[in-house]
Amino acid sequence: MADLKIGVLSCSGEECLGGTISRLATRKMLEELRPGQTVTLCLPLYLAGGEEERFFAKAFPVITVDGCSKCCAKRATEKYSGKVSDIVDVSEILGNDVALDKTVSTKDMTSQHMEMVDKVAKVICEKFDKIAENK
Amino acid sequence: MSKVKVIPCSGIGKVFGLMARESALKVTNELKPNETETVCLAHIVTGDEDSKSKIEGFPCITIDGCPKLCAAKNAELAGGIVKMQYRTVDEMRNHRGVDAGTATALTPDGWKVVDELCEKICEKVDDILKEEK
Ligand code: SF4
Ligand code: SF4
Repeated sequence: MADLKIGVLSCSGEECLGGTISRLATRKMLEELRPGQTVTLCLPLYLAGGEEERFFAKAFPVITVDGCSKCCAKRATEKYSGKVSDIVDVSEILGNDVALDKTVSTKDMTSQHMEMVDKVAKVICEKFDKIAENK
Repeated sequence: MSKVKVIPCSGIGKVFGLMARESALKVTNELKPNETETVCLAHIVTGDEDSKSKIEGFPCITIDGCPKLCAAKNAELAGGIVKMQYRTVDEMRNHRGVDAGTATALTPDGWKVVDELCEKICEKVDDILKEEK
């Protein structure tokens, strides 16, 4: 259990705010909330990389973190790698209007944006801990 | 006139991916909003028809973090015409020893490298649009 690693894969979508939030919440898991236990992967490597990348969802339980209801990280993972253990959709947590709002650069993040990241990261943590408990 | 697609890899593990992402956001949102736009790379990866239709046959500039060239390869697979590929890791070669930041946030020096890259991208956009006329 101490060695358990869980994959957190964000869509990091470029077209809307939800994508930026998905990315920063995932970075927060890696750096602050579950460092050492969280592993991730550059999502486009499913096609641009090799077998190793496509093995990701077989090697680790995976939580995908998507910026909007298109759920690209989830669908790409299930198409190329394997079933995901759980999903987080930013639009379900923060609402469609926020998720589909204009994207922001990290240099323009406000305290409100950071609160959004925290809220999404909290949901990822809950799902993360549930998976860890059941392993 | 169709907009030039500027597509970054947004790699999540290292600073190079964030530099690619921020360069694309700066060009498409601030420097050339009328001439360029970006497309969610993860959506292209899914192979969805509606994501393909956004880039198929269109001129694209890709910005990747590393030699794996995820944005360039995925854009080409989806039928985009990749006119220029940039790699932020190459841009850093001209700034040896500089601390650009992390995959979460760039330092002021990291932003300087991004700004320089954005200038090059904007020139390339102008060239592509001239060619298209
Ligand atoms: S889930 Fe939404 S924000 Fe994320 S890559 Fe797909 S379309 Fe873009
Ligand atoms: S090009 Fe490199 S940094 Fe960018 S997504 Fe691919 S592996 Fe990650």
